[in-house]
Amino acid sequence: MRDENEDDYKFAACTFFAKNHPGETCGSNGLPLTPSSVTILGRAQRLLHLEHLNLCTYLDVIRGKHERIIVVAEVIGKSLNEVKSKFSHEEIANIGLQIANALKFLHEQDITHRTLSADNILLDSNGRVKLFNYGMYYMTKSGKEVSFPLGLPRYLSPETILGGGGPSADVWTFGIILLELCVGKLWQNLKPGPILRRILTLVHAGNPAERIAREHDYHETYKQVPDSLKNIIEKCLKIYPGERATFAELVTELSQMDNKKLVELKKPRGLMGCKLQLLYHLWQLAGGDIQAELKKNCLIKSSPPILSMPIAILLDGCTIGGKTGALFDRRIAKYSLNLLKLRLIHISPHDFYPLMHERKKEYDAVTLPKIIRERDTEYQFYRLLWFQRLLHGYPYTAQYIRAEAEIDIPPLVRGDVWAALLGVVGDIEEQYERIDKETPTPTDRQIDVDIPRCHQYCWLLCGEAGHRTLKRLLKAWLLTNPQYVYWQGLDSLTAPFLYLNFCNEARAFACLQAFVPKFLHKFFLKDNSAVIKEYLAKFWQMTAFHEPVLATHLHEINFVPELFAIPWFLTMFSHVFPLHKIVHLWDALLVEGPSLPLFMGVGILRQLRDTLLSSGFNECILLFSDLPEIDIGECVKESIEMCRSSPRSISYRRFTNEPEIKDPMDKVEIPMDVLFTEICPRISLSDFFSLVCQEKCCVIDIRSNLLYEKSCIEGSINVPYSGVHLGQHELRALGLQPQRALTEAAKLKKTVVVASAEDETAQLFSDYLVKCGVCRVCILHGGVRALHTHVPSLFTTPPPAARGSRATERT
Amino acid sequence: MTAESVQNTTKTFKFSFPTCTNEDVLFKLEVPVEIPHNGSTRELVQRVINMFHIPVYLEDELNEKLAEFVTEETKNFHNDRDEKLLNQLKNSELNVEGIVKNWEKMFKDNVMEFAEQKGTSDEEVFAAAYHKLVHSPALDTILQVENSYAKTVMNTLNNRDEDIKMLTQRQTEEMEEKVRLLNTFTTEEEINELAAQHFEQQSLAAGRWGSQLDALCQAQRAHHRAWLMRTLDQYQACAELDTPSNSPLATFSPEHVPAPLAPRQRLEESFTIHLGSQLKQTHNVRIVAMDMLDLCTVEHVDNPTEASRRLQTSLSLYSSELSACVLVCESAPSRPAPPTAALAAAAAASTEHHFAHVDAQLREIAERVKEPAEARNAQRLKDQLAQGGKDTKNRWKHSLQPGDVFVTRHSNLADVHVVFHLFADTAPLRTGDITSRHPAILGLRNILKAACCNDITSISIPLLLRNDLCEETTAAWCLRRAELVLKCVKGFVLEAAGWGGAEPRTLHFCVPPAVAPDLFQALANLLPTIFRISNPVKVKPPPS
Repeated sequence: MRDENEDDYKFAACTFFAKNHPGETCGSNGLPLTPSSVTILGRAQRLLHLEHLNLCTYLDVIRGKHERIIVVAEVIGKSLNEVKSKFSHEEIANIGLQIANALKFLHEQDITHRTLSADNILLDSNGRVKLFNYGMYYMTKSGKEVSFPLGLPRYLSPETILGGGGPSADVWTFGIILLELCVGKLWQNLKPGPILRRILTLVHAGNPAERIAREHDYHETYKQVPDSLKNIIEKCLKIYPGERATFAELVTELSQMDNKKLVELKKPRGLMGCKLQLLYHLWQLAGGDIQAELKKNCLIKSSPPILSMPIAILLDGCTIGGKTGALFDRRIAKYSLNLLKLRLIHISPHDFYPLMHERKKEYDAVTLPKIIRERDTEYQFYRLLWFQRLLHGYPYTAQYIRAEAEIDIPPLVRGDVWAALLGVVGDIEEQYERIDKETPTPTDRQIDVDIPRCHQYCWLLCGEAGHRTLKRLLKAWLLTNPQYVYWQGLDSLTAPFLYLNFCNEARAFACLQAFVPKFLHKFFLKDNSAVIKEYLAKFWQMTAFHEPVLATHLHEINFVPELFAIPWFLTMFSHVFPLHKIVHLWDALLVEGPSLPLFMGVGILRQLRDTLLSSGFNECILLFSDLPEIDIGECVKESIEMCRSSPRSISYRRFTNEPEIKDPMDKVEIPMDVLFTEICPRISLSDFFSLVCQEKCCVIDIRSNLLYEKSCIEGSINVPYSGVHLGQHELRALGLQPQRALTEAAKLKKTVVVASAEDETAQLFSDYLVKCGVCRVCILHGGVRALHTHVPSLFTTPPPAARGSRATERT
Repeated sequence: MTAESVQNTTKTFKFSFPTCTNEDVLFKLEVPVEIPHNGSTRELVQRVINMFHIPVYLEDELNEKLAEFVTEETKNFHNDRDEKLLNQLKNSELNVEGIVKNWEKMFKDNVMEFAEQKGTSDEEVFAAAYHKLVHSPALDTILQVENSYAKTVMNTLNNRDEDIKMLTQRQTEEMEEKVRLLNTFTTEEEINELAAQHFEQQSLAAGRWGSQLDALCQAQRAHHRAWLMRTLDQYQACAELDTPSNSPLATFSPEHVPAPLAPRQRLEESFTIHLGSQLKQTHNVRIVAMDMLDLCTVEHVDNPTEASRRLQTSLSLYSSELSACVLVCESAPSRPAPPTAALAAAAAASTEHHFAHVDAQLREIAERVKEPAEARNAQRLKDQLAQGGKDTKNRWKHSLQPGDVFVTRHSNLADVHVVFHLFADTAPLRTGDITSRHPAILGLRNILKAACCNDITSISIPLLLRNDLCEETTAAWCLRRAELVLKCVKGFVLEAAGWGGAEPRTLHFCVPPAVAPDLFQALANLLPTIFRISNPVKVKPPPS
């Protein structure tokens, strides 16, 4: 392995403490004040998405223990401070131009740098200049969220020292830096006080730049500086900010002087050609530890807490003795990617450029649980490259993305993939811009009450930035969907989209806008009782279909879904689970489609099965008042399995935005009041037909044996309804043959279809089967008569001898 | 520094466009805009267009004009403010010296580069050494040494008690003799004189023993330190450890191990709970009937259970997993009374090798608390008078008020490192009903917050906020009080999740040891109704 040199360092971290709120911490709304570190974290998110040639990309902002903030950003080469050689005037002009370009960009984004200094301007061996950690002033809310002063004394402009200072203070600092580059270090051995005093006396000088140079005995050197450069320095070092040049002007002037062209480097290939965000993510997966390096460099010092215990705490929260504020250390810790390079050393170069139509490699990691796959460096590496490629081609690659998302979604690109799965396309920014999110509306009050209670354990969502954005999203959605009203829970539903698209409000909105009609059509109507009732009834039927014993128990103790499942479905589980579980749940949801949630509900019940079976009504209520831990991976797996193995028509709901079903073969719709009385779902004729063709069903004909003998469905068993004792919940009571057929059906996971002449008997008999613990029972919609009309080919006359015994013969 | 001077202003954005029939007649539009404007100007344009029904073909122009307007005005806003400041400076209207001093102080106090260079303190060096050794093979030796030191102190204490007892006995006899002979051989003056003499003797003896103890502790502490530092050097040099010849271990005989005392029977019950509505956090909650001081007192006998308790405490002393307990006390730190006095006695039972002696700690607290607390009290009194309240000057004569907390640190107690003394002397706390806004409850919140900020992960709280039971504390009262305390603590722990410090992982709720078993059961049954007992995911073997 090579020795580490300057170029190996790809990113660096610095750390500081946010301000502590003194004393009692309650805001005007009676809720605790947001900790400063959370505010900083929220503001810094925007910085993570800034990209400019002359800015070091921010990679991560971490909130540590005790209000510590760690900022991770790209680094290159050396800082101007570390470069010992002097620059020629041409080089200075070129460096100046690059800095000015960066600052022009920042000012356009309404970001003031304030902390520009020779040690955060980085220069690599090719002459590329990048500014490092330019967002301190912005993320700390103009320094309000930290207790230390920002910037270095010698770079502060006079008005900043006096307590003012806008963006043009950066121009002054830029001027000082240019001057330093031309003549040498300024005020080198002075303490902050004298430096500041000297800067303030400059206000009386006609030409501050010259005055500074004279003060330092640099006058001769300054005279030799070309006029054009001198001119620029003097334009920056004007006392009145109004008279200073702007960066736009400086860029124009400097580019006239600058004739040096940067050597265009060939983009590195392979690992180093990947985006830095991706590399940082993989580096962390490979075991990279930001905090460890900071500790090694003494940037995180751990003094034993017992030594800094306070000696008294007064009632108002005033603490006496104890911790003194930690000092702000401006040093940084640098990191190389060697760890990751070693980890991925065996990957062949052409794996970095996967071809879309190439036969894909199978990774053995696929069989592992999702949570483990998400932490597997190599697996994530392949997945991320592949997904990046697919996302690049979106929307044309939508179907590929869906197919891949079915396997899993890498957390790093989850926001993009979800948007793709929801079919978000077009100029969403402009559409979002057009919506008025500011004008007060009557629902604002309720929204304001709910937001501080919505997923507040997540640092992003609990800060000021999170609250404001969530409110804007909710208002925008309500305004665009006037047919809907604000139901509590909409906030939770929006939270995952905001969490994944924190700096892309428009996309979060577009995702929500696409999600609701697909999964929660009509749920947010002012009167949504019919929609919810139907949904719950369907959920209850699915429970009976897959978990008959459990369903029977819950029916018996009268524990109905209205008591617990409304928030599940109204928020698609986002109200009951933490975000890290919701994302896995929704990964599946977005791929599988709108019938999956019903089975997820069943999946949750299945996990609690043992507890539920041994509980009475009161215990159940208590259990669900605060849902216990659920293994989401397992729940998702089982619900997908249930969903795929269930005939589509049994989960049919009328309140969806899918096109109306016209074909009588596909119809299963029954009046709502009938639906509420039926425990078993209905299967459509076409689903039934395909089940019969695949030999995946066991048909029980409950008409009288006279009718049965006349003509019956091929392979069906006749259990005349009139002969069944509904009170006796034992299969044996049905007779030997039906019992054998039903046990066999259960073993082969066949669907049990009850065919009858009239609905009422079918209902009662299917109900009876559920009580006997028979799985997968459903009713043939329209009964034997409808089937006879539409699919007469299925009918035959049973040979009198073999009546009802076909099942046994076949085996 | 810069924050206070920023005051937003409102500027009016003017825009005009021709009417459709006449080019010269203009529609005029005026929109007040806040400067600096936070938010997108393009969104504002959309709102303006919608509200005033501006024709859409003007959209682009409006976008451009408004953005320009906001940029310009923002620039002016900053520049005008700064110009004013600079002019003031030019005209010497500003206190330049004050401003510079302020900056100087800020840089000096907060930024590493400008701060005075401070070496690592003696305390920290010792802490690091101790922590290192305690996590090395030397641990056993250290504990043995400490134990033998403690035994010496204990013996001295026993001798003192014996000596004083004998003295007292002798004096009593003497006095009785004298009194018996009163009016025959002795006069009242003589008796008085004798009493004074006795008193003098007593205080002399106490003083003698006190100074002897002090000297012993000082010597032990010095020895201990020197020995530890030496041991560390040796350990680092050869990573092997011998017992030095001059160590107190020379007198230590590990052979004699008395039979362990039968562990005291305690009523206790533990739960694992989940807190939080979506993201669930796991905590351990334990309810136990015992005296809070049991957590502090060490019995320096060679008893494996006691040794393991000490071991645990020593291992975590300089870690970030401290344990603490809350003592409800009614006396100020300057005049300790039980339970503070009992704690002080427990702490004085062996040498404090790491922190100041408990009496010195209490003295320091009394001194340093005085000023801020009195300033606070004066303020409160003023507020109360201003609100037309009665003059209740008497209430404010103590510096500490109910709800205030003082903190002592210990290295030689059995189970805890930190003791929070919750000052509360109001009658309703003892027997009456209190609400969640009672100072004692708020003090409890401060304690939990301090625990969170200072890496205390295990804390013992008196469930009834009192140390014993009496006639007035009926079962119903106990349940009511326990419910209030539990609910409040639950709220505070939930709140603590946002403070970004250490989570209080283990909560012990202590009930006075005299509690009846059925009352204890009732209290224990309260826990699962208030906290959500965790429901572990049961792994089922796959059906095969």
